[in-house]
Amino acid sequence: MTSTLERPKASASEECSLPATPLAVVLAVVLLAALTAAVAWGSTSIPPGEVWGVVRRRLSGEAPRPGTNDLIIWQLRVPRALLAALVGAGLGLVGTAVQALVRNPLADPYLLGISNGASLGAVAAIVLGAGAGGALGLGLSGAAFAGALATFALVWAVARRGGGFAPLRLVLAGVAIGQFLSGFTSYLVLQAGDEQQTHSVLFWLMGSLSGANWQMLAVPAVAVPVALLWLQARARGLNALLMGDETAAGLGIDVTRLRRELFTVTSVLTGVLVAVSGAIAFVALMVPHVCRLVVGGDHRRLLPVSALFGAVLLVVVDIVCRTAMDTQELPVGVVTSLLGAPALLYLLDRRLGSGS
Amino acid sequence: MRIDIEDLHVAYAGRTVVAGAHLIAAEGEITGLVGPNGSGKSTLLRTVYRHLKPTAGRVFLAGTDLRELSPVESARHVAALPQERGSDFELTVREVVGMGRTPYKRAFSGEDAADRDIVARALADVGMDEQAGRRFTALSGGERQRVLLARAFAQDPDVLVLDEPTNHLDIRHQVELLALLRAQRRTTLVSLHDLNAAASVCDRLHVLHAGSVVASGPPREVLTPALLAEVFGVRAAVVDHPLTGDPLIAFDHRAPADAEPAVAVETHTGA
Repeated sequence: MTSTLERPKASASEECSLPATPLAVVLAVVLLAALTAAVAWGSTSIPPGEVWGVVRRRLSGEAPRPGTNDLIIWQLRVPRALLAALVGAGLGLVGTAVQALVRNPLADPYLLGISNGASLGAVAAIVLGAGAGGALGLGLSGAAFAGALATFALVWAVARRGGGFAPLRLVLAGVAIGQFLSGFTSYLVLQAGDEQQTHSVLFWLMGSLSGANWQMLAVPAVAVPVALLWLQARARGLNALLMGDETAAGLGIDVTRLRRELFTVTSVLTGVLVAVSGAIAFVALMVPHVCRLVVGGDHRRLLPVSALFGAVLLVVVDIVCRTAMDTQELPVGVVTSLLGAPALLYLLDRRLGSGS
Repeated sequence: MRIDIEDLHVAYAGRTVVAGAHLIAAEGEITGLVGPNGSGKSTLLRTVYRHLKPTAGRVFLAGTDLRELSPVESARHVAALPQERGSDFELTVREVVGMGRTPYKRAFSGEDAADRDIVARALADVGMDEQAGRRFTALSGGERQRVLLARAFAQDPDVLVLDEPTNHLDIRHQVELLALLRAQRRTTLVSLHDLNAAASVCDRLHVLHAGSVVASGPPREVLTPALLAEVFGVRAAVVDHPLTGDPLIAFDHRAPADAEPAVAVETHTGA
């Protein structure tokens, strides 16, 4: 029997939490390397030296040198690599926040129905005409974001009834409304006029970064850092939510208000991300999970590490998507699912196997 | 710091659970809250640590109406140990205890030496200092409860509010935990299911029945056979404990108070 006098030593395998700052520095370096590789590799291979040369000249306002890969680098690959990094970081953050919001380490922002609403908006725009050509233009992003916000309002209205924003109620409202909306989406896909439309709808539903351009970066480039700061400022509150609403209240946290704000911030961020990249599967679920195994559950460490790891992951996955097949590129969501599901199962298995 | 509760009414899930409760938790004493299931113990405690708002009546902390304090201000004086057990999020024991510092910290600020000191002392007080690096969810039920108590200690409160802290603990851990509470000498408001534990550990008891306090006073005066029959619906004798001299309640486990003692009991009068 364990008593106050006998204090069993902790076994090494039960210790967790690496120091986060060195890890964050390492991840930042890896992210820079991955971004460089993402710009250098592709159908035309470009030496890393030339990549940074072009970026330096562009940033200092010098005229591009003729005969270089300036256009490929600056107009195509750099925005795409940056979009991958921003979306990955955003998905890492939003996953971490939603898991705390509904107090479930297996939750995912798509559970709350927001991405279904965004998808419906985007698919409606493609099929009903606003998004002619199928490229991820601003019209399409706008429609997706509008769909996300409308769904947010709907889930909010249902989840708040009965007071509070009880986690279970939020999840049930999100799942039910999300399914309802994806029924509509499926119906619209069937109504798609031609093969080209169906193709762009599918590409969008699976999540893709192929339409990246500089304009598209503006909103996520503001939203992701703002969300990181906002969440980081409330990291202790997120920690307290993990222990339970009553514990959090006893620690001086206005739980209902924090939940309401968290739901708003995560929904808006999810809307922003899905609007520019479609519903990329598994990243938001897996990134916080993996990071928690490495740095532990304290959100003061977990949030920045999840953002960095999410960015690295999506940049690398997008490289794979562009280079895996010669003839066509894979939607990024296909690869995140194919890699993510087994990785998650492996991690869970290892964790459960070690006797938790 | 003392707690005064005046004419408290609380509705929970659309039902009035506490209806006109009055009670006092005196400075430095352990005040026990006993009563049958559904009598409003947890609901009353939740208003003290501000998980629930009273529908009427007031809770005073050292003479100040709780409503005049922000949630953070009252969390610096009142620490709670609710019946929640946390969920699996890879938090270490030290991190869980460190949460007790939450009401003292601003956004973005880290722990300073004083915080680390308080956390270390809280861990040592419950005998979990050598397990600070372990994962919280890898602990046994008794260890977890000690860690959660250390989290409340780390809040450096004037008042401790504990909701059934001995639930799910084996008898040794119950005894240890209650001894720990006595040693703290803080103003403590605790709900307890186990009337014998309440009788030996509390300086003063309040008996809740259907949302109001029906008896208050030292355990020996409150826990009479008549009250036990009336409020709890059981037959019992109250004797002196042969070891400690505390009141010891010997229950008749064969039949509730309102049944004929000799008749085999078929009805389920779940009190």
